Amino acid sequence: MPTVRLRDGAEYPEPARRAFELSKQWFRYDFPQPAAMTRVMAWDPHFGGPHGRAMKRAMAPGEFSRGEKEMVAAAVSGVNACDY
Amino acid sequence: MTGDAPWYEAAMVVGITNALNVVADGLGALMTPVKPGACPAEVGAIYDDIRAFYGGSGEIPTPFGLAAQDPGYLGDLWAAVKRAFTDNQLSRRLKTSLAFAVSLTTRSAFGTAFHLTEMRRLGVGQGGIMEIVGVTQMFSSYTKIADTLQLEPDMGDIAPVDQTPAPGGSPPA
Repeated sequence: MPTVRLRDGAEYPEPARRAFELSKQWFRYDFPQPAAMTRVMAWDPHFGGPHGRAMKRAMAPGEFSRGEKEMVAAAVSGVNACDY
Repeated sequence: MTGDAPWYEAAMVVGITNALNVVADGLGALMTPVKPGACPAEVGAIYDDIRAFYGGSGEIPTPFGLAAQDPGYLGDLWAAVKRAFTDNQLSRRLKTSLAFAVSLTTRSAFGTAFHLTEMRRLGVGQGGIMEIVGVTQMFSSYTKIADTLQLEPDMGDIAPVDQTPAPGGSPPA
């Protein structure tokens, strides 16, 4: 169980809700609520903004496709024993 | 990369990479590898195959040199490693990059250096290497934030279930 109460998307200010829309496009999936980490990162836009941009840049297709990078991310998450 | 097969392959790469790394990092400075010039013929043949797989370099990677104290064990270990890293559903280039990311994440000095060298040998440019470093670094942040807050997965039910049978098997009745 999360150690914090994850706020619904509607509890965030308008700029964050716009970012949630972009996040939905990125994931290409219509979550009932923005993904948990998306909401966490929106808590502090001065951290979450640049962190999210760095993440998006890292995951963008280059020498490796986005799919290949998702697999690398899954492996990194696996060895970090991260269930999320 | 649809279906389960690529993920089975990726998992085997991650596992065997970790297996090589724990021995190389843990015992590399404490035990002496079996030298190529002073080994039984059985080990020499495996060493030749290892060299060929890694581009003909004279160096036998530490974990194989250590495993060679038991030739039978070396043979099976090497067969598993070779199978895991050979082009299949996933390219060797991607598998090596996965191994690099796993080694970096687990702070394996052996694995990080070894797979970085392999990535370069297999044609991954500096830009591609930094892409893998970026993914590894950002997900090392992402996962720790998620774990600290003990978040529950919200992606678990998204992927379609692959109903195909195991290789060579039959579909479920």
